[in-house]
Amino acid sequence: MKKINLIALTFIVLSCQAQVKPNDIFIQDEIIKYTFETVADGIPVPWGMAFLPDNSMLVTEKSGVLYHIKNGVKTEVKNVPAVYNRGQGGLLDIVLHPDYAQNGWIYISYSSTEGEGQGGNTKLIRTKLLNGGLTQIESLYKCEPNTTKGQHFGSRIVFDKGGYLYFSAGERGNHFVNPQDITRDNGKIYRLNDDGSIPKDNPFVGQPNAKEAIYTYGNRNPQGLVLNPYTGTIWEHEHGPQGGDEINIVKKGANYGWPVVTYGIDYDNTIISNEQQKPGIEDPIYYWLPSIAPSGMLFVTSDKYPDWKGNLLVGSLKFQYLELVKLDGDKIIGRQKIGTGIGRLRNVAQGPDGYIYIGVEGKGILKIIPN
Amino acid sequence: MIAKLHLVIALIASVYLYYSDTSRISKTNYLSSSKIQQQTALQKSKANGKDIYTDFCMQCHMANGKGDGLNFPPLDGSDWLKKKRSQSIHVVKYGQAGEIIVNSKKFNAIMPAPVGLSNQEIADVLNYVMNSWSNKNKNIVTADQVALVKP
Repeated sequence: MKKINLIALTFIVLSCQAQVKPNDIFIQDEIIKYTFETVADGIPVPWGMAFLPDNSMLVTEKSGVLYHIKNGVKTEVKNVPAVYNRGQGGLLDIVLHPDYAQNGWIYISYSSTEGEGQGGNTKLIRTKLLNGGLTQIESLYKCEPNTTKGQHFGSRIVFDKGGYLYFSAGERGNHFVNPQDITRDNGKIYRLNDDGSIPKDNPFVGQPNAKEAIYTYGNRNPQGLVLNPYTGTIWEHEHGPQGGDEINIVKKGANYGWPVVTYGIDYDNTIISNEQQKPGIEDPIYYWLPSIAPSGMLFVTSDKYPDWKGNLLVGSLKFQYLELVKLDGDKIIGRQKIGTGIGRLRNVAQGPDGYIYIGVEGKGILKIIPN
Repeated sequence: MIAKLHLVIALIASVYLYYSDTSRISKTNYLSSSKIQQQTALQKSKANGKDIYTDFCMQCHMANGKGDGLNFPPLDGSDWLKKKRSQSIHVVKYGQAGEIIVNSKKFNAIMPAPVGLSNQEIADVLNYVMNSWSNKNKNIVTADQVALVKP
Protein backbone atom coordinates (compact mmCIF):
# COMPACT_ATOMS: atom_id res chain seq x y z
CA MET A 1 0.00 0.00 0.00
CA LYS A 2 2.65 2.49 1.07
CA LYS A 3 4.91 1.48 -1.78
CA ILE A 4 2.15 1.93 -4.28
CA ASN A 5 1.39 5.35 -2.89
CA LEU A 6 5.04 6.35 -3.01
CA ILE A 7 5.20 5.42 -6.67
CA ALA A 8 1.88 7.14 -7.41
CA LEU A 9 2.93 10.27 -5.58
CA THR A 10 6.30 10.36 -7.26
CA PHE A 11 4.48 10.29 -10.58
CA ILE A 12 2.11 13.05 -9.50
CA VAL A 13 4.97 15.25 -8.27
CA LEU A 14 6.98 14.56 -11.43
CA SER A 15 3.96 15.23 -13.61
CA CYS A 16 3.34 18.55 -11.86
CA GLN A 17 6.94 19.47 -12.54
CA ALA A 18 6.44 18.46 -16.17
CA GLN A 19 3.72 21.13 -16.41
CA VAL A 20 6.36 23.86 -16.51
CA LYS A 21 7.70 24.47 -19.98
CA PRO A 22 11.40 25.20 -20.18
CA ASN A 23 12.47 28.30 -22.12
CA ASP A 24 8.93 29.17 -23.13
CA ILE A 25 8.15 32.30 -25.07
CA PHE A 26 6.60 34.69 -22.59
CA ILE A 27 3.09 35.92 -23.43
CA GLN A 28 2.99 39.71 -23.41
CA ASP A 29 0.11 41.72 -22.04
CA GLU A 30 -2.28 43.40 -24.34
CA ILE A 31 -1.49 46.74 -26.01
CA ILE A 32 -4.95 48.08 -26.79
CA LYS A 33 -5.09 49.83 -30.16
CA TYR A 34 -8.56 48.70 -31.20
CA THR A 35 -12.17 48.39 -30.12
CA PHE A 36 -14.59 45.47 -30.32
CA GLU A 37 -17.90 46.05 -32.05
CA THR A 38 -20.74 43.55 -31.71
CA VAL A 39 -21.90 42.37 -35.13
CA ALA A 40 -24.40 39.79 -33.87
CA ASP A 41 -25.27 38.82 -30.31
CA GLY A 42 -27.22 36.03 -28.64
CA ILE A 43 -25.25 33.16 -30.18
CA PRO A 44 -24.34 30.67 -27.41
CA VAL A 45 -21.51 28.84 -29.24
CA PRO A 46 -20.54 30.50 -32.56
CA TRP A 47 -18.48 27.60 -33.88
CA GLY A 48 -17.83 28.18 -37.58
CA MET A 49 -17.85 31.34 -39.68
CA ALA A 50 -17.85 31.83 -43.45
CA PHE A 51 -18.11 35.07 -45.42
CA LEU A 52 -20.29 35.34 -48.49
CA PRO A 53 -19.08 37.60 -51.32
CA ASP A 54 -21.40 40.42 -50.11
CA ASN A 55 -19.55 40.41 -46.73
CA SER A 56 -22.60 38.90 -45.00
CA MET A 57 -21.70 35.80 -43.03
CA LEU A 58 -22.86 32.31 -42.23
CA VAL A 59 -22.33 31.31 -38.61
CA THR A 60 -22.90 27.85 -37.16
CA GLU A 61 -24.23 27.57 -33.62
CA LYS A 62 -23.19 24.34 -32.01
CA SER A 63 -26.67 23.14 -30.98
CA GLY A 64 -27.65 22.95 -34.66
CA VAL A 65 -28.66 26.43 -35.85
CA LEU A 66 -27.11 28.06 -38.92
CA TYR A 67 -27.39 31.85 -38.99
CA HIS A 68 -27.11 34.15 -41.97
CA ILE A 69 -25.97 37.50 -40.62
CA LYS A 70 -26.43 40.50 -42.87
CA ASN A 71 -26.25 44.15 -41.79
CA GLY A 72 -26.39 43.10 -38.14
CA VAL A 73 -29.57 41.05 -38.59
CA LYS A 74 -29.39 37.32 -38.02
CA THR A 75 -31.76 34.97 -39.79
CA GLU A 76 -31.99 31.19 -39.25
CA VAL A 77 -31.14 29.22 -42.38
CA LYS A 78 -33.69 26.46 -43.04
CA ASN A 79 -33.21 22.76 -43.75
CA VAL A 80 -30.05 22.31 -41.65
CA PRO A 81 -29.38 18.58 -41.06
CA ALA A 82 -30.16 17.24 -37.57
CA VAL A 83 -27.00 17.23 -35.44
CA TYR A 84 -25.94 15.00 -32.57
CA ASN A 85 -25.61 17.74 -29.97
CA ARG A 86 -23.71 16.01 -27.22
CA GLY A 87 -20.62 17.17 -25.35
CA GLN A 88 -18.32 18.88 -27.82
CA GLY A 89 -20.36 17.66 -30.79
CA GLY A 90 -22.97 19.57 -32.77
CA LEU A 91 -22.98 21.85 -35.79
CA LEU A 92 -19.29 22.61 -36.31
CA ASP A 93 -17.34 24.24 -39.13
CA ILE A 94 -18.48 25.94 -42.33
CA VAL A 95 -16.33 26.89 -45.33
CA LEU A 96 -17.04 28.11 -48.86
CA HIS A 97 -15.54 26.46 -51.94
CA PRO A 98 -12.63 28.59 -53.25
CA ASP A 99 -14.68 28.97 -56.43
CA TYR A 100 -17.93 29.68 -54.57
CA ALA A 101 -18.87 32.57 -56.84
CA GLN A 102 -19.07 30.10 -59.76
CA ASN A 103 -20.34 26.88 -58.15
CA GLY A 104 -22.09 27.92 -54.90
CA TRP A 105 -20.81 24.97 -52.83
CA ILE A 106 -20.72 25.33 -49.04
CA TYR A 107 -18.96 22.71 -46.87
CA ILE A 108 -20.19 21.92 -43.36
CA SER A 109 -18.93 19.52 -40.67
CA TYR A 110 -21.13 18.31 -37.82
CA SER A 111 -21.69 15.35 -35.58
CA SER A 112 -24.22 12.90 -36.93
CA THR A 113 -25.96 9.77 -35.63
CA GLU A 114 -25.94 8.20 -39.11
CA GLY A 115 -24.33 4.83 -39.57
CA GLU A 116 -23.04 2.09 -37.33
CA GLY A 117 -23.39 2.14 -33.53
CA GLN A 118 -25.14 4.19 -30.87
CA GLY A 119 -24.11 7.82 -30.48
CA GLY A 120 -22.54 9.96 -33.17
CA ASN A 121 -19.42 10.89 -35.09
CA THR A 122 -18.05 13.63 -37.34
CA LYS A 123 -19.59 14.04 -40.77
CA LEU A 124 -18.76 16.28 -43.74
CA ILE A 125 -21.34 17.47 -46.27
CA ARG A 126 -21.53 19.98 -49.08
CA THR A 127 -24.64 21.95 -49.87
CA LYS A 128 -25.94 25.11 -51.52
CA LEU A 129 -27.84 28.08 -50.09
CA LEU A 130 -31.05 28.87 -51.93
CA ASN A 131 -33.92 31.14 -50.78
CA GLY A 132 -32.76 31.05 -47.15
CA GLY A 133 -32.42 27.28 -46.93
CA LEU A 134 -29.87 24.55 -47.58
CA THR A 135 -30.43 22.55 -50.73
CA GLN A 136 -28.63 19.85 -52.76
CA ILE A 137 -27.08 18.33 -49.62
CA GLU A 138 -24.39 15.76 -50.51
CA SER A 139 -22.69 13.48 -47.96
CA LEU A 140 -18.94 13.51 -48.49
CA TYR A 141 -17.57 11.63 -45.47
CA LYS A 142 -18.82 10.11 -42.24
CA CYS A 143 -16.46 8.85 -39.52
CA GLU A 144 -17.29 5.43 -38.08
CA PRO A 145 -18.22 3.96 -35.69
CA ASN A 146 -20.51 6.15 -33.58
CA THR A 147 -19.94 6.53 -29.86
CA THR A 148 -21.79 8.27 -27.02
CA LYS A 149 -18.53 9.82 -25.76
CA GLY A 150 -18.72 13.59 -25.48
CA GLN A 151 -15.20 14.43 -26.59
CA HIS A 152 -13.16 15.25 -29.61
CA PHE A 153 -15.10 15.59 -32.83
CA GLY A 154 -12.64 18.12 -34.35
CA SER A 155 -13.57 19.60 -36.71
CA ARG A 156 -12.23 22.24 -39.06
CA ILE A 157 -12.31 22.40 -42.84
CA VAL A 158 -9.88 24.16 -45.22
CA PHE A 159 -8.96 24.17 -48.91
CA ASP A 160 -5.37 24.38 -50.12
CA LYS A 161 -4.14 26.21 -53.20
CA GLY A 162 -4.49 23.06 -55.31
CA GLY A 163 -8.22 22.82 -54.53
CA TYR A 164 -7.93 19.84 -52.17
CA LEU A 165 -10.16 19.85 -49.11
CA TYR A 166 -8.78 18.99 -45.67
CA PHE A 167 -10.87 18.36 -42.58
CA SER A 168 -10.09 17.13 -39.11
CA ALA A 169 -11.80 14.64 -36.83
CA GLY A 170 -10.76 14.24 -33.18
CA GLU A 171 -10.15 10.85 -31.60
CA ARG A 172 -13.59 10.70 -29.89
CA GLY A 173 -12.20 10.06 -26.41
CA ASN A 174 -10.67 6.74 -27.47
CA HIS A 175 -6.98 7.60 -27.59
CA PHE A 176 -5.47 4.17 -27.18
CA VAL A 177 -7.53 2.78 -30.08
CA ASN A 178 -8.09 5.39 -32.79
CA PRO A 179 -5.29 7.88 -33.49
CA GLN A 180 -2.44 5.51 -34.37
CA ASP A 181 -4.56 3.10 -36.45
CA ILE A 182 -4.96 4.09 -40.10
CA THR A 183 -7.66 1.44 -40.58
CA ARG A 184 -9.84 3.43 -38.18
CA ASP A 185 -11.38 6.88 -38.34
CA ASN A 186 -10.76 9.60 -35.74
CA GLY A 187 -7.60 11.27 -34.52
CA LYS A 188 -6.91 12.16 -38.17
CA ILE A 189 -6.75 14.90 -40.76
CA TYR A 190 -8.35 13.85 -44.03
CA ARG A 191 -7.79 15.04 -47.59
CA LEU A 192 -10.49 14.83 -50.24
CA ASN A 193 -11.26 16.22 -53.66
CA ASP A 194 -13.93 18.90 -53.61
CA ASP A 195 -16.61 16.35 -54.58
CA GLY A 196 -15.67 14.03 -51.70
CA SER A 197 -13.74 11.52 -53.82
CA ILE A 198 -10.36 10.38 -52.56
CA PRO A 199 -7.26 11.74 -54.33
CA LYS A 200 -5.28 8.85 -55.88
CA ASP A 201 -2.05 10.12 -54.36
CA ASN A 202 -3.32 10.18 -50.79
CA PRO A 203 -0.63 8.61 -48.58
CA PHE A 204 -2.45 5.43 -47.54
CA VAL A 205 -4.21 4.58 -50.80
CA GLY A 206 -3.82 0.86 -51.53
CA GLN A 207 -2.76 -0.12 -48.00
CA PRO A 208 -4.77 -3.04 -46.56
CA ASN A 209 -8.00 -1.87 -44.88
CA ALA A 210 -6.73 1.69 -44.66
CA LYS A 211 -9.17 4.57 -44.54
CA GLU A 212 -7.78 6.06 -47.72
CA ALA A 213 -9.07 9.56 -47.04
CA ILE A 214 -6.55 9.87 -44.17
CA TYR A 215 -3.79 12.40 -44.80
CA THR A 216 -2.21 12.56 -41.32
CA TYR A 217 -2.71 10.53 -38.13
CA GLY A 218 -1.82 10.63 -34.44
CA ASN A 219 -3.84 13.84 -34.00
CA ARG A 220 -5.84 14.37 -30.82
CA ASN A 221 -8.46 17.04 -31.37
CA PRO A 222 -7.67 19.60 -34.08
CA GLN A 223 -9.89 22.68 -33.91
CA GLY A 224 -7.68 24.92 -36.01
CA LEU A 225 -6.86 24.23 -39.67
CA VAL A 226 -5.73 26.96 -42.07
CA LEU A 227 -3.82 27.61 -45.25
CA ASN A 228 -0.57 29.49 -44.72
CA PRO A 229 -0.98 31.96 -47.60
CA TYR A 230 2.74 32.74 -47.60
CA THR A 231 4.02 29.17 -48.01
CA GLY A 232 0.97 27.30 -49.33
CA THR A 233 1.24 24.72 -46.52
CA ILE A 234 -1.62 23.73 -44.21
CA TRP A 235 -1.20 24.55 -40.54
CA GLU A 236 -3.20 23.02 -37.73
CA HIS A 237 -3.46 23.30 -33.99
CA GLU A 238 -4.89 20.72 -31.67
CA HIS A 239 -5.95 20.36 -28.07
CA GLY A 240 -3.52 18.39 -25.95
CA PRO A 241 -4.66 16.80 -22.71
CA GLN A 242 -3.57 18.73 -19.59
CA GLY A 243 -0.73 20.57 -21.29
CA GLY A 244 0.64 19.93 -24.74
CA ASP A 245 -1.65 21.81 -27.11
CA GLU A 246 0.26 21.85 -30.40
CA ILE A 247 0.82 23.83 -33.58
CA ASN A 248 1.79 21.52 -36.45
CA ILE A 249 2.49 21.90 -40.15
CA VAL A 250 0.43 19.30 -41.98
CA LYS A 251 2.61 16.91 -43.97
CA LYS A 252 1.45 14.05 -46.17
CA GLY A 253 1.28 10.75 -44.28
CA ALA A 254 2.83 12.19 -41.13
CA ASN A 255 2.24 10.86 -37.62
CA TYR A 256 1.77 13.59 -34.99
CA GLY A 257 2.27 11.13 -32.18
CA TRP A 258 -0.85 11.10 -30.00
CA PRO A 259 -0.82 9.22 -27.61
CA VAL A 260 2.62 7.69 -28.16
CA VAL A 261 4.30 11.00 -27.40
CA THR A 262 2.82 14.09 -25.78
CA TYR A 263 3.91 17.20 -23.92
CA GLY A 264 0.87 16.87 -21.65
CA ILE A 265 -0.55 14.59 -18.97
CA ASP A 266 -4.05 13.28 -18.36
CA TYR A 267 -6.72 15.26 -16.47
CA ASP A 268 -6.33 13.03 -13.43
CA ASN A 269 -2.56 13.75 -13.52
CA THR A 270 -1.68 10.26 -14.76
CA ILE A 271 1.08 9.90 -17.32
CA ILE A 272 -0.06 9.13 -20.85
CA SER A 273 3.46 8.89 -22.24
CA ASN A 274 6.85 9.66 -20.76
CA GLU A 275 8.17 10.47 -24.20
CA GLN A 276 7.86 13.80 -25.94
CA GLN A 277 9.76 12.98 -29.10
CA LYS A 278 10.38 9.87 -31.15
CA PRO A 279 11.88 9.08 -34.55
CA GLY A 280 9.17 8.91 -37.20
CA ILE A 281 6.90 11.25 -35.27
CA GLU A 282 6.54 14.91 -36.21
CA ASP A 283 7.44 17.29 -33.44
CA PRO A 284 5.11 20.29 -33.14
CA ILE A 285 6.56 23.64 -34.20
CA TYR A 286 5.17 25.00 -30.94
CA TYR A 287 3.36 23.59 -27.93
CA TRP A 288 1.45 25.32 -25.15
CA LEU A 289 2.06 24.35 -21.57
CA PRO A 290 -0.23 24.87 -19.72
CA SER A 291 -2.93 24.30 -22.32
CA ILE A 292 -4.77 27.34 -23.67
CA ALA A 293 -7.48 25.15 -25.28
CA PRO A 294 -7.03 26.51 -28.80
CA SER A 295 -9.97 26.92 -31.16
CA GLY A 296 -9.99 28.86 -34.42
CA MET A 297 -6.91 29.95 -36.32
CA LEU A 298 -6.09 32.71 -38.81
CA PHE A 299 -3.13 33.98 -40.79
CA VAL A 300 -3.59 37.75 -40.85
CA THR A 301 -3.09 39.14 -44.36
CA SER A 302 -5.06 42.37 -43.97
CA ASP A 303 -3.32 45.77 -44.10
CA LYS A 304 -5.75 47.07 -41.47
CA TYR A 305 -3.62 45.46 -38.74
CA PRO A 306 0.01 46.29 -39.59
CA ASP A 307 1.31 44.92 -36.25
CA TRP A 308 -0.43 41.60 -36.81
CA LYS A 309 -0.01 41.10 -40.56
CA GLY A 310 1.87 37.94 -41.47
CA ASN A 311 1.30 36.48 -38.02
CA LEU A 312 -1.09 33.95 -36.61
CA LEU A 313 -4.15 34.45 -34.41
CA VAL A 314 -5.44 31.62 -32.22
CA GLY A 315 -8.51 31.65 -29.95
CA SER A 316 -8.18 30.45 -26.37
CA LEU A 317 -11.25 28.86 -24.85
CA LYS A 318 -9.58 28.37 -21.51
CA PHE A 319 -7.95 31.74 -20.93
CA GLN A 320 -10.63 33.66 -22.81
CA TYR A 321 -8.47 35.76 -25.09
CA LEU A 322 -7.20 35.86 -28.63
CA GLU A 323 -3.52 34.99 -28.85
CA LEU A 324 -1.28 36.68 -31.41
CA VAL A 325 1.45 34.20 -32.32
CA LYS A 326 4.30 36.13 -33.91
CA LEU A 327 6.19 34.31 -36.65
CA ASP A 328 9.52 34.43 -38.36
CA GLY A 329 8.86 32.02 -41.22
CA ASP A 330 7.84 28.75 -39.56
CA LYS A 331 9.33 29.76 -36.22
CA ILE A 332 7.31 31.18 -33.32
CA ILE A 333 9.12 34.21 -31.92
CA GLY A 334 6.51 36.00 -29.79
CA ARG A 335 3.11 35.82 -28.16
CA GLN A 336 0.67 38.50 -27.13
CA LYS A 337 -2.82 38.69 -25.63
CA ILE A 338 -5.70 40.40 -27.43
CA GLY A 339 -9.15 40.94 -25.87
CA THR A 340 -8.11 39.83 -22.39
CA GLY A 341 -11.02 38.16 -20.59
CA ILE A 342 -13.40 38.64 -23.49
CA GLY A 343 -14.93 35.16 -23.11
CA ARG A 344 -14.39 31.65 -24.44
CA LEU A 345 -12.91 32.45 -27.84
CA ARG A 346 -14.20 29.86 -30.29
CA ASN A 347 -13.26 31.18 -33.70
CA VAL A 348 -11.41 33.89 -35.61
CA ALA A 349 -11.70 34.86 -39.28
CA GLN A 350 -10.83 37.67 -41.68
CA GLY A 351 -13.65 39.08 -43.78
CA PRO A 352 -13.49 40.15 -47.44
CA ASP A 353 -13.57 43.72 -46.03
CA GLY A 354 -10.19 43.10 -44.39
CA TYR A 355 -11.56 43.23 -40.84
CA ILE A 356 -11.00 40.47 -38.32
CA TYR A 357 -14.05 38.90 -36.69
CA ILE A 358 -14.13 36.70 -33.61
CA GLY A 359 -16.73 34.25 -32.33
CA VAL A 360 -17.10 34.43 -28.55
CA GLU A 361 -19.20 31.92 -26.60
CA GLY A 362 -22.20 33.40 -24.80
CA LYS A 363 -21.83 36.56 -26.88
CA GLY A 364 -21.74 36.16 -30.63
CA ILE A 365 -19.65 37.73 -33.38
CA LEU A 366 -17.44 40.74 -32.66
CA LYS A 367 -15.47 42.86 -35.12
CA ILE A 368 -12.04 44.18 -34.20
CA ILE A 369 -11.72 47.81 -35.30
CA PRO A 370 -8.23 49.35 -35.15
CA ASN A 371 -8.07 52.89 -33.72
CA MET B 1 15.89 15.66 0.33
CA ILE B 2 13.17 15.42 -2.30
CA ALA B 3 13.05 11.65 -1.88
CA LYS B 4 12.51 12.11 1.86
CA LEU B 5 9.78 14.62 1.21
CA HIS B 6 8.10 12.16 -1.13
CA LEU B 7 8.26 9.50 1.53
CA VAL B 8 6.66 11.77 4.11
CA ILE B 9 3.91 12.80 1.68
CA ALA B 10 3.39 9.19 0.72
CA LEU B 11 3.09 8.11 4.35
CA ILE B 12 0.57 10.81 5.13
CA ALA B 13 -1.35 10.00 1.98
CA SER B 14 -1.36 6.27 2.66
CA VAL B 15 -2.73 6.80 6.17
CA TYR B 16 -5.36 9.12 4.75
CA LEU B 17 -6.28 6.73 1.96
CA TYR B 18 -6.43 3.80 4.40
CA TYR B 19 -8.97 5.56 6.60
CA SER B 20 -10.87 7.28 3.80
CA ASP B 21 -11.47 3.98 1.99
CA THR B 22 -15.07 3.54 3.08
CA SER B 23 -15.33 0.06 1.61
CA ARG B 24 -13.34 -1.16 4.61
CA ILE B 25 -16.05 -0.14 7.03
CA SER B 26 -19.16 -2.08 6.16
CA LYS B 27 -21.87 0.11 7.63
CA THR B 28 -24.52 -1.53 5.47
CA ASN B 29 -24.76 -4.47 7.89
CA TYR B 30 -26.59 -2.29 10.35
CA LEU B 31 -29.00 -0.68 7.90
CA SER B 32 -32.58 -1.65 7.15
CA SER B 33 -33.30 -3.38 3.83
CA SER B 34 -34.93 -0.27 2.27
CA LYS B 35 -31.84 1.74 3.16
CA ILE B 36 -29.66 -0.90 1.57
CA GLN B 37 -31.75 -0.71 -1.58
CA GLN B 38 -31.46 3.06 -1.68
CA GLN B 39 -27.74 2.91 -1.14
CA THR B 40 -27.40 0.34 -3.86
CA ALA B 41 -29.35 2.57 -6.25
CA LEU B 42 -27.12 5.47 -5.24
CA GLN B 43 -23.96 3.43 -5.72
CA LYS B 44 -25.12 2.27 -9.13
CA SER B 45 -26.03 5.79 -10.20
CA LYS B 46 -22.71 7.10 -8.84
CA ALA B 47 -20.78 4.47 -10.80
CA ASN B 48 -22.55 5.46 -14.04
CA GLY B 49 -22.01 9.10 -13.16
CA LYS B 50 -18.25 8.63 -12.94
CA ASP B 51 -18.08 7.87 -16.68
CA ILE B 52 -20.20 10.92 -17.47
CA TYR B 53 -17.98 13.04 -15.23
CA THR B 54 -14.84 11.83 -17.00
CA ASP B 55 -16.38 12.54 -20.38
CA PHE B 56 -18.08 15.88 -19.81
CA CYS B 57 -16.89 17.59 -16.63
CA MET B 58 -13.33 16.61 -15.73
CA GLN B 59 -11.58 18.84 -18.26
CA CYS B 60 -12.60 21.95 -16.31
CA HIS B 61 -13.53 20.75 -12.83
CA MET B 62 -10.56 18.34 -12.73
CA ALA B 63 -10.36 14.74 -11.50
CA ASN B 64 -10.12 15.90 -7.88
CA GLY B 65 -13.19 18.13 -8.20
CA LYS B 66 -11.23 21.20 -7.22
CA GLY B 67 -11.67 23.18 -10.46
CA ASP B 68 -8.94 25.65 -11.34
CA GLY B 69 -9.67 28.27 -8.68
CA LEU B 70 -10.02 30.91 -11.38
CA ASN B 71 -12.68 30.19 -13.96
CA PHE B 72 -14.02 26.83 -12.87
CA PRO B 73 -15.38 26.56 -9.33
CA PRO B 74 -14.67 23.60 -7.07
CA LEU B 75 -17.23 20.83 -6.71
CA ASP B 76 -15.41 19.21 -3.82
CA GLY B 77 -16.59 20.92 -0.64
CA SER B 78 -18.71 23.39 -2.63
CA ASP B 79 -21.29 25.20 -0.44
CA TRP B 80 -23.19 26.12 -3.61
CA LEU B 81 -23.63 22.46 -4.57
CA LYS B 82 -24.63 21.56 -1.03
CA LYS B 83 -27.20 24.32 -0.50
CA LYS B 84 -28.66 24.67 -3.99
CA ARG B 85 -29.96 21.31 -5.06
CA SER B 86 -32.45 22.36 -7.74
CA GLN B 87 -30.05 25.01 -9.06
CA SER B 88 -27.35 22.33 -9.27
CA ILE B 89 -29.65 20.20 -11.40
CA HIS B 90 -30.50 23.30 -13.45
CA VAL B 91 -26.83 24.05 -14.14
CA VAL B 92 -26.09 20.57 -15.42
CA LYS B 93 -29.27 20.51 -17.47
CA TYR B 94 -29.20 24.00 -18.97
CA GLY B 95 -25.74 25.45 -18.32
CA GLN B 96 -24.49 28.44 -16.39
CA ALA B 97 -23.47 31.98 -17.28
CA GLY B 98 -22.84 35.00 -15.11
CA GLU B 99 -21.40 35.51 -11.67
CA ILE B 100 -21.83 32.93 -8.93
CA ILE B 101 -20.22 32.75 -5.50
CA VAL B 102 -18.78 29.45 -4.37
CA ASN B 103 -17.15 29.18 -0.94
CA SER B 104 -17.02 33.01 -0.75
CA LYS B 105 -15.16 33.30 -4.04
CA LYS B 106 -16.58 34.87 -7.21
CA PHE B 107 -16.62 32.88 -10.43
CA ASN B 108 -17.81 34.19 -13.76
CA ALA B 109 -17.38 31.77 -16.65
CA ILE B 110 -19.66 29.87 -18.97
CA MET B 111 -20.57 26.27 -18.39
CA PRO B 112 -21.67 25.01 -21.79
CA ALA B 113 -24.96 23.10 -21.63
CA PRO B 114 -27.20 21.46 -22.54
CA VAL B 115 -24.65 18.94 -23.64
CA GLY B 116 -27.10 16.27 -24.71
CA LEU B 117 -27.32 14.30 -21.46
CA SER B 118 -30.51 12.39 -20.63
CA ASN B 119 -32.30 13.07 -17.33
CA GLN B 120 -30.91 9.80 -15.96
CA GLU B 121 -27.35 10.76 -16.99
CA ILE B 122 -27.78 14.16 -15.30
CA ALA B 123 -28.97 12.43 -12.13
CA ASP B 124 -26.05 9.98 -12.31
CA VAL B 125 -23.37 12.64 -12.69
CA LEU B 126 -24.86 14.69 -9.85
CA ASN B 127 -24.93 11.62 -7.61
CA TYR B 128 -21.29 11.06 -8.48
CA VAL B 129 -20.31 14.67 -7.77
CA MET B 130 -22.39 14.86 -4.57
CA ASN B 131 -20.77 11.68 -3.24
CA SER B 132 -17.15 12.02 -4.31
CA TRP B 133 -14.03 13.47 -2.69
CA SER B 134 -15.20 14.98 0.61
CA ASN B 135 -18.82 15.31 -0.56
CA LYS B 136 -21.56 13.16 0.91
CA ASN B 137 -25.25 13.31 0.16
CA LYS B 138 -27.35 10.19 0.71
CA ASN B 139 -30.44 11.90 -0.71
CA ILE B 140 -30.31 10.46 -4.24
CA VAL B 141 -31.05 12.62 -7.29
CA THR B 142 -33.48 10.83 -9.60
CA ALA B 143 -34.31 11.22 -13.28
CA ASP B 144 -37.84 12.25 -12.25
CA GLN B 145 -36.47 15.10 -10.16
CA VAL B 146 -34.33 16.21 -13.09
CA ALA B 147 -37.39 16.09 -15.38
CA LEU B 148 -39.21 18.52 -13.06
CA VAL B 149 -36.51 21.19 -13.39
CA LYS B 150 -37.53 23.52 -16.21
CA PRO B 151 -35.57 26.32 -17.93
